[in-house]
Parts: sequence; C-alpha cells; structure tokens
Amino acid sequence: MAISSLVQNVSYAQIAAPLIVAAGAVAVLVAEVFLPVRRKQLVSWLSLVVLAGAAAPDIALWPGRTTGTFCMPQSAAGLYSLGAGEPHGMPSTCSYVADRFALIFQFVALAGAFIVVLMSAASMKRDRIPTGEYHFLLLSSVAGALVLAAARDLITLTIALETVSLPAFALVGLKRWSGRSSEAALKFFLVSVASTAVMLFGISLVYGATGNVHFAPVALHLHALSSGTNGPMRHLAYLGVGMTLVGFGFKVSAVPFHFWTPDTYAGAPVPIAAYLSVVSKAAGFAGLILLTGTAFSPLLDKTGPLLAVLAALTMSLGNLVALRQQDAVRLLAWSTIGQAGYILVPLAAHDSVSYTKHINASVAYIIMYAAMNLGAFAVVHSVHATSLDAYRGLAKTRPLASAALAFFLLCLAGLPPGLMGLFAKVAVFGAAAGSHLVWLAVVMAVNVVIALYYYLSWTARLFAAPDAATASVGRSPATLRFAIGLTMLAAVVFSVWPQSALGAF
Amino acid sequence: MTGHGPAVAAVGNTAATGSNGTYFSTYSVVGILLLLGVAFVATAFGANRLLSPHAPSPEKLLTYECGVDPVGEGWAHTQVRYYVYAFLYAIFAVDAVYLFPWATIFAAPGFKGTTLVEMFVFLGFLAVGLLYAYKKGVLAWL
Repeated sequence: MAISSLVQNVSYAQIAAPLIVAAGAVAVLVAEVFLPVRRKQLVSWLSLVVLAGAAAPDIALWPGRTTGTFCMPQSAAGLYSLGAGEPHGMPSTCSYVADRFALIFQFVALAGAFIVVLMSAASMKRDRIPTGEYHFLLLSSVAGALVLAAARDLITLTIALETVSLPAFALVGLKRWSGRSSEAALKFFLVSVASTAVMLFGISLVYGATGNVHFAPVALHLHALSSGTNGPMRHLAYLGVGMTLVGFGFKVSAVPFHFWTPDTYAGAPVPIAAYLSVVSKAAGFAGLILLTGTAFSPLLDKTGPLLAVLAALTMSLGNLVALRQQDAVRLLAWSTIGQAGYILVPLAAHDSVSYTKHINASVAYIIMYAAMNLGAFAVVHSVHATSLDAYRGLAKTRPLASAALAFFLLCLAGLPPGLMGLFAKVAVFGAAAGSHLVWLAVVMAVNVVIALYYYLSWTARLFAAPDAATASVGRSPATLRFAIGLTMLAAVVFSVWPQSALGAF
Repeated sequence: MTGHGPAVAAVGNTAATGSNGTYFSTYSVVGILLLLGVAFVATAFGANRLLSPHAPSPEKLLTYECGVDPVGEGWAHTQVRYYVYAFLYAIFAVDAVYLFPWATIFAAPGFKGTTLVEMFVFLGFLAVGLLYAYKKGVLAWL
C-alpha cells in the first residue's frame, strides 16, 4: 500500500517574513555576545536591517494570496467537513494564509517595531538595558505578531499570541534596577497569564463543540449549531466563544480588562510602552477581527452586542480617567484605552453584511493610530520627563519636537490640521451608523469631545510660558529624531492621502 | 490504571451511542477506589494510634535522621549558582521530551528527510541557547 507523504507542503515565500524575523532574533542574540563592548551599538542596526528585510517578501506578495500554506492533506481534510451533501464545499484547512488582511497587519507590525528600535537605539546605555537581550526579545515578539495576523486556526493563533506576549513580559521588566519596572512586568505577566488561561478554556470549549480548530470548519459547525436543536452543545459553544473573546479583550486592554495597562506602560521603558500600545495591541485586534469575522462569524448577532458594550465602556472609561492624569505616559496609556474603544466600534456590527462592509474602518484606524501614537511616544521619549508640567513652554527650546507632538496630539484628538485622526474617526462613525448602532455613535461623539480637553490642554502647555517645572532638554540623538521624522512623514501622508489607509483593506 | 480502562472504553461508547449516562457512571469506579484508599489509610493509622503504647521521652521526640542525632537546623544554605544549573537542566530535560515522540516516527513511511532536518533545526536552537549561556559565563565554575 502506497502511503502519501504526511509532511505538509510549506510555501516559504508566504512565511518568509516571520522566518526572517525569527532567524534575525537568533542572529542578534549571538552577534551581541561576540561583539566587543564598544561595538554593541551595531546590534540596533542589525535589528533594523532584519525588520526592513522582512518587509521585502511581504511587498513581493502584495496584494496577498487567498490560498495558504500548512494545509491539511485532502484525505485528512475530509474528516473535517460536515459530511456528505454539505452545500458549502470543502472548507479551507490551511493554518497560515498571507492574504491582504495578514499583509497589512504584518506591515504595521514591522513598521512599528522599526520605529521602536530607532527610538531606543540611543537610550539603551542611559537606561542600562542589556542590548542583545532587548533586541532578541523584541524581534521574537514581532515574529509572533507576524504569524498571528496570518493564523487561520485556533492553535496557531494561540501560539502566535503567546509568542507576542512572553517576550513582552521580559521587555517590560528589562530596567532591572527599577522597582517600578519589575512591578509593571509582574502585573502584566499575571494579568496576561490569567487571560490566556480563560482564552484557552474558551478555545477548548469551542473545539469540543465543533470538533475543529481551523476557522472555516469552525464557522460551518457554529452555523449548524446555532440553527440546530442540540441545546446543551450550543450553549457550550456560546460560552467558549465568549471566553475566547474575553482573552483577546485583555490583550487589547478593553474595559473591564484594562487595569494592567497604565501601570505597565508607566513602569516599562518608553519605547516598550510604545511597542505594547501599537504592535502588541494591533496583534490583539488582528486576532479579534479574525475570530469575529471568520471563525465566529455565524454568531455575529451574539458577539456584536457584546463588543458594542465593550466599545462603549472602553472609550468612556479610558477618556474619563485620562482627564485626571498628570503623567505623560499614563495619560497616553489611558488615551490608548480610549482609542481601543473606537477601534472596537466597527467590530460590533450585528450581521455579516455590515461587518464585512465596515471592518475596513477598524483596519484603517489601526494603521493611522499606529503612526500617531508611535509619534507621540517618540516625542515623550525624547523629552524624557514624566510630568505634564515639564512640557510647559517646550515650543521655545525644542520647536520642532513640540510642533510634532502638537500635531500627533491633534491627530489623536481628530482636529484639523491632524486630518488623519479626523478621517479615521469619520470612518468609524460611518461604520456605527451603517450598522444601525446609533446609540454607539452618540456615545462615541460624546467621547471625542471629552478627549479634546486633555489632548488640547497638553498641546496648550507646549506653547505656554516656561516656568520652573519645564524640562531642560538638549538636542535628541539623531536616531530618535529620525524616528520622530518617520512617524511625522507617515502622519502627513495619511492626512493628505487618507485613501492609502482607508482603502488598504 | 484500573480506573482508566473503563473510562476510555466509555468514550468509544459515547461516540457510538451519543449517550452521556454510561460515560459518567464509569467514574463511580474511580469514586469507590478513592473511598477505599481513604478508608485504608484511616484504618491503618487509627489502629496504630489505638494499639501502640505511648511513652515519649526527649530522645524519642528528636527528628529521625537514620539513627544519627540531628545537627544544626532544618534550613540549609544552597549556593545560588546551582539555581542556574537547575534552570539549564530543566530546560534541556523538557526539550528532550520532544525527541522521544519524534524518534518513534521519523523513519516511518510518509515522513521523509524533512522530518529529520526539522529536528536538527530544533536542536540548533538549543545549541544557540547553550552558546549564549557559555559566552555569558554561566557555565564557568567560579
């Protein structure tokens, strides 16, 4: 009897980006221990080369492939179908698909990590952060984010999410001399582990109810269950879906799963806070969109209202608490919670028609949010002061950095000339209205007005008269200025040509 | 092991008949075994307490260390250096576990050279970890 190969075919072109980053992570670790002490700076450049190099195969793949790799053999795939006479044909059982959605999030992750490495290049010595370990952990986490966006089964999704999170715990605690850094790392670790446990339990229930891990067959079975008569099994599946979404709620720090965020951001090195707020959060949203849009799509009428409530709570609490913050990083932390609420709005659609029609608003918001938030964190890192009062009169001593920060804050607020933020918010409003969620659009409008206060009061401080509390800051290192320049460039491009982000997906 | 067999058989039954009753009723064997175990230990210790004479003296109340009088306290210092070694050992022991299932199938039909290469990629990552530990001076004694 001839036995066909049990080894899955691997399309190396599709998995090139995460492979390059993963191999680069190992190369960086080895390079650092062999480099002489005064040459350790080269590791930062090596990381930048790896991240830029990983974007190349993704550019070659654009606009993405619909067939994936790591697919189940056809003989085995038969086991996964619903049985003879099913109307939907053979569902896809590929674990990794580098389609348009995946490539967009991979670009966001690579670009975000590129900026983070640039931000931290000159401050490693000042903050006494071990260079090799820092870049190894960062690249490992990025590799996880790249896989997560392309994951098309629950197991790959979980492993990728853990690959994003585990190095991040260590990154947060890398300022080993700082008690706050260790506290932040411990809090982040405990909350994240608890959320992973909840998510794994949810996934195991989903698997138990559907007998599948690949998204397409899971969706077929959930559809059959939700219209079928097997009551207990249906409720088991609903419980599993809910718990899985709760796990991702922690990752994107949606209220009520947000409380780790401000402490973790404040304790972590600022570039790592930027990384968590952009790359890690984008990865969480990618997973959330993949689950609600594909695997759990038959249950949109159940998950939609749940996510609508989460979105309303997240933006309201995030913006209200941000009003009272006196610390720059903490304010940005609460602001990212508020922004996460806006991103959740298009996911709250109740039916698959409006979901697929409006999900591009979420994707566009994430792309634009990445540019403006990284920019704001980069300027905060260059000022190197925690109190908001330290920013009084900064426009006198650091006019360019102040102008950049003012622009990013106006983008986050959604006011001209920060047109990017305005377009992103209008797109989300359109999604809420198009999904007949008028109450959510109203809540969001109120929140945008509340957020104006703290963004504008920070901006106003920049142009006020300097006083005793003003930080005395010299010229930033060239790499940091380059990082601010890149984010500024992205912000300006998205402001004058928003279609590049809005039409990306 | 005895409690395991019926449960496994019952999983097969459930798949065939779709009934949950037989599946959970086989757990009664586990429950009875648990009760028997508790009863056995309780009876043995209870009988010992009831039947044995009780005449303590300071020597008898000493901690028993193979008949030698105990010296010092129960707390002992361990060189912190062992911690790293214990860590390395645990990592490699856990990683080695992956070698066993691989060893049983890599020569089986359907698995080609790819499977062999995959394991060496995995071992390569372990070697990099060891190299890193060596260069950081973790493996040097003192």
